[in-house]
Amino acid sequence: MSASSAGAGAGGGVGARPSRVKTVLTVIRAGLRSNFGLATLKHRLLKEKKDRWLVPLVGVAAIGVVPMFYGIVLLIENVYLVLKPMGQERALLSFGILAGQLLILLFGVYYVIAAFYFARDLEFLIPLPLRPGEVMASKFAVIVINEYLTVAAIVLPVVVTVGVLARRGVGYWVNATLVYLTLPIIPLALVSLVVVAMMRFINVSRKKDALILVGSLALIGLSFALQIGLGRSAGGRGPEASAQAVAAFFTSPDSLLNKVGAIFPPGIWATKAIAGGFSGEGLANLALLLGVSVVLFAGMVVAAEKLFYRGVIGLGETTGKRRRLTRDEMSRRVSSGRRAFAAIFGREWKIMNRTPIFLLNGILVSVFVPAIFVLMATLNKGGRGGGSGGGGGGDPMALLGTLLSANPLVVILGAALFMTICGSVNGTASSTFSREGAQFWISRMIPVAPREQAAAKFLHSYLVAMLGVATASVVAAVFLHLRAAYLAPAVALSLVAGVLLAAVGMMIDLARPLLDWTNPQKAIKQNLNVLLALFADVGILTAVFFGVKALMRVKLATNVVLGVVFVGLGALAAVSYLAMLKFADKRYPEIE
Amino acid sequence: MIELTHVTKSYNRGKIKAVDDLTLTVKPGEIFGFLGPNGAGKTTTIKLIVGLLRPDSGRIAVEGYDVAKEPLKAKQVTTYVPDFPAIYERLTGLEYLNFIGDVYGVPKAERLERIGKWLEIFELAPVVTNPIQSYSHGMKQKIVLAAALLPAPRVMVLDEPLVGLDPRAAHQLKEMFREHCDAGKTLFFSTHIMEVAEKLCDRIGIIHKGRLVACGTMEELKAIDRTEAGQSLEEIFLELTEK
Repeated sequence: MSASSAGAGAGGGVGARPSRVKTVLTVIRAGLRSNFGLATLKHRLLKEKKDRWLVPLVGVAAIGVVPMFYGIVLLIENVYLVLKPMGQERALLSFGILAGQLLILLFGVYYVIAAFYFARDLEFLIPLPLRPGEVMASKFAVIVINEYLTVAAIVLPVVVTVGVLARRGVGYWVNATLVYLTLPIIPLALVSLVVVAMMRFINVSRKKDALILVGSLALIGLSFALQIGLGRSAGGRGPEASAQAVAAFFTSPDSLLNKVGAIFPPGIWATKAIAGGFSGEGLANLALLLGVSVVLFAGMVVAAEKLFYRGVIGLGETTGKRRRLTRDEMSRRVSSGRRAFAAIFGREWKIMNRTPIFLLNGILVSVFVPAIFVLMATLNKGGRGGGSGGGGGGDPMALLGTLLSANPLVVILGAALFMTICGSVNGTASSTFSREGAQFWISRMIPVAPREQAAAKFLHSYLVAMLGVATASVVAAVFLHLRAAYLAPAVALSLVAGVLLAAVGMMIDLARPLLDWTNPQKAIKQNLNVLLALFADVGILTAVFFGVKALMRVKLATNVVLGVVFVGLGALAAVSYLAMLKFADKRYPEIE
Repeated sequence: MIELTHVTKSYNRGKIKAVDDLTLTVKPGEIFGFLGPNGAGKTTTIKLIVGLLRPDSGRIAVEGYDVAKEPLKAKQVTTYVPDFPAIYERLTGLEYLNFIGDVYGVPKAERLERIGKWLEIFELAPVVTNPIQSYSHGMKQKIVLAAALLPAPRVMVLDEPLVGLDPRAAHQLKEMFREHCDAGKTLFFSTHIMEVAEKLCDRIGIIHKGRLVACGTMEELKAIDRTEAGQSLEEIFLELTEK
């Protein structure tokens, strides 16, 4: 719809043709409205008067993150107060900006591939009288806006806190605003250039989906290696954050600033631009940052002119051999009648595994999170110059070793928490209905009770979560050397907690499934339901934490505490599962 | 049999009446054609019949089962073909048919026979193991039709089923419509193609601005007292939906 209206603008009508810039702006405007669902949201809130319950809910969620931000600001303030006497406060700025840019690099891979190559609006955009570079520029602009939101939580607290504490003048704030607006362009343009080149070659292959998956993983791995580099530089000197350690970390010639800055100089330019304000250094760095952003953006547009359509056109086409099945083959492949539950479970599994965006954001995340932990732990260890670890506070294994001897209950609950988090961060449950999108009519039409369909979906989501739990268990057993006596109760607790969190996630998605997406990314990664479910998970786990703390204060035996937690979680899991089935019966007929 | 009794459906909290006090019965063995200009309420009526929308008031029954009160029984005897073939693109044609066969509980022998028959008729046999993603629009429409025919339902409800089909498939589909209803089953479909409705349907309903403005056999429609003299369905349609 929005693309069509864009087309009307682009077409120009019978009068003078609109300028290219005006055309691109029209497409960007349409893209933004479509991406953020502004028209739909306005219609639902103001005309249909639906979804109004979301307004207070988002308000509550916003208030919920205030304490977290307050904590972050306090931390920044403390570090600032340590650095200031040494005149090194700008290192703090550079840390925040680099972290933001590297985060953009990491998430940019997801966004760029999904928006440039899998968005359904491409079907409308490509036939319009627009140049490939213009289509890509419009999509790029939408991702940039998304990234402003992604990095706001990291960059803004640092920049604002430092600015306020240092009582900086207008130059600081003007430059900070310009830097913030420019921040995503360089990392995203770099990712786009690599992705556009990669997709050009993938498109000629017959194994497109597999290659997209491998290519995405490779790019994510690369971005992640940079993140690890950042973490390693930051954490390598111990987390105690004593004044000397912090000072050494920020100021030494081998510091993070120099190390990561050498790999990714725009972070340094941005820091100097903000810190320098209207001084010669500030303006020169600002000009450098803006200039390189413009050059890279232009380079991306030029590359798009040559490569974009060659990568995107025909990507959705799958070549299949035309071959008639023999009678025997047909007889073998026609199912002999599975139960509806099995059929729905099979459908969920196949669609998830065969859609690269869903596979990447769902199942692979389950495996990634524990794997990332291993990687970080291994690198952190290696970063200490091959020593024995020395019992340094940064080594999670050494940390756990200390905990092991200290309190088995804490270890078991900590391991259970780790496994539960690894199992539940993937968003499979909280996007299970949304992922059906325009095909949801089939689920509404088939003669299968909603609760049976929801049960099959639950089993699928739960198994994906258990994949995360299993990987986390292996990590705990092999890398953290967790004994079986601790591992078994931790696994048992996470299995029960998994039921609770999956059921809650499904209920959240069922309350407001996002079915009108045109880009599969929106069904899972940019789905508000996934975020709300994460908030709910944090809330539930925090409540469990305080419950356990209360039990520990009573000084009950370890086994008794574990038993109470297990039974309590089990009861909550059973209730939430049954509530979810009941809610499915209620909601299915209501979803129009 | 399909029965709609005083069915009303509005949007925007009653501001737009998509279907307004519609009462209609489609008898067993009948092909019922549902006509109307764009936005007249055809698709809304169809979605109400198959339970995809809930009426504000009134009752809808399929084969005697109240769609609101006994939805599973009503669904078990009904299949539906939407106006746009939005189906699981990542499944193969055969996987989709198997899925439909499983959820409707079609026994293996019947499933094998019907799948073979419809794949041949719709010329889908050579591509049935390919992902639906690789199908053309017409092929997707055909696989949705084959899936709707697989359970051999008592009632078929189709929204613009002929759009996107090539002439051969369209011809075969029309023959299938007749076959289906000759076996005493019910078929309700919407169309914009007047010739098809005129030649194929036992009865025709014309909806305009949510209200049923005419309903009956072709002869009954011709007998409606009108100002214009034309006798073709197109002329009748144009006059009845003029304002």
